[in-house]
Amino acid sequence: MIIVRLEPEDKIDTYPKLNTVQQLLNKYDLFYTDALVIRDGELLTQDRKLNDGDEITLRKVISVG
Amino acid sequence: MKCKVCKAEAVVGLPSHNTAFCAVCYDKFFMKQVSEGIRKKKLLEADDRVLVALSGGKDSLGLMYALAELGYDVTGLHIDLGISDSSRKARAVVEDFCKDRGYALKVVELEKEGVPMPLIKKHINRPICSVCGKFKRHYFNKVALEDGYTALATGHNLDDEVARLFANTLRWDQAYLSDQGPVLPAENGFAKKVKPLYRVSEFESANFSFLKGIPYHHLPCPYSKGASFTGHKMIWRNQEIRSPGSKRAFYGGFLERGQPAFAAIHEKKKDYEVKPCTKCNCPTSVGVCGVCRVREQLADSLMASNE
Ligand code: SF4
Ligand SMILES: [Zn+2]
Ligand SMILES: [Zn+2]
Repeated sequence: MIIVRLEPEDKIDTYPKLNTVQQLLNKYDLFYTDALVIRDGELLTQDRKLNDGDEITLRKVISVG
Repeated sequence: MKCKVCKAEAVVGLPSHNTAFCAVCYDKFFMKQVSEGIRKKKLLEADDRVLVALSGGKDSLGLMYALAELGYDVTGLHIDLGISDSSRKARAVVEDFCKDRGYALKVVELEKEGVPMPLIKKHINRPICSVCGKFKRHYFNKVALEDGYTALATGHNLDDEVARLFANTLRWDQAYLSDQGPVLPAENGFAKKVKPLYRVSEFESANFSFLKGIPYHHLPCPYSKGASFTGHKMIWRNQEIRSPGSKRAFYGGFLERGQPAFAAIHEKKKDYEVKPCTKCNCPTSVGVCGVCRVREQLADSLMASNE
């Protein structure tokens, strides 16, 4: 299972299986320049593989007031 | 994906530049975008005293860091709007960041100034965001004037500038199109205004801040509409996906060819002059400035509600 924390919504989603960052972005209709994808404090490009048990932060790129 | 420079594993891919970078090479790329942007459009001189507007968002904090790294004399200015949790959180992020990195910081509290935003919202019948923007600009100018800063820097990025330019182009706003750009020169003793991040996208700025360990708050203002990609930004997001580099070409082309053309026809028409407000000395073109007027209206309204 892969756990995804969405920012700034602060919402958690889980997926039984995702192979790559690109597949994760597709779930949210995001292009890879729409969000930072973070795993263990590291940025992932869209071609990177995801593994079972990964905890991912998906931080959408927007400005706040 | 590999870094185009050193072949290490990449952490940032940039379609607009058709490239990808590892963390070390990305830092060099980003800093060069900023320093080249400053040099090309002559935003800052080595001896400028720069006041940086710090909202607590990634762009403003990243800008502060980048300017300090480039050796500029920088001081942060945070305006505490007095809007419940959102303002408290923003202020804490800014204060912690500056303390951590050893940056000088000034804070203006609108509560202490007698004009917290919730009070204004209650008493002034105008869109709160336009009044809020007015107050932020006002205090920015005021602090610069009183404390002798020669440049005011804000964290507007390429996406902000493109969205704004696009909106003004849709209504062919000659005044805007004739004098907009990453630098507004000093006028009548008021400090120049600069936007050193005008060449970097929101995505690039977010990556930079993340890689530099710069914290940022994302507690939205309760008065904001809350849309993540608002109207024109969405149009440009889609355009950029279809044709990477569009934003840079649009904004860059405007600076090279559009703005000078508009400036040439608009010069003769300029029928106002920026002068000190007769009440508070801050820059205005209408005698008594907008902020002093809002203050008067607020005083009247408070008086009336006490009667
Ligand atoms: S969203 Fe909030 S902080 Fe931003 S301009 Fe409006 S009132 Fe001010
Ligand atoms: Zn590299
Ligand atoms: Zn005034």
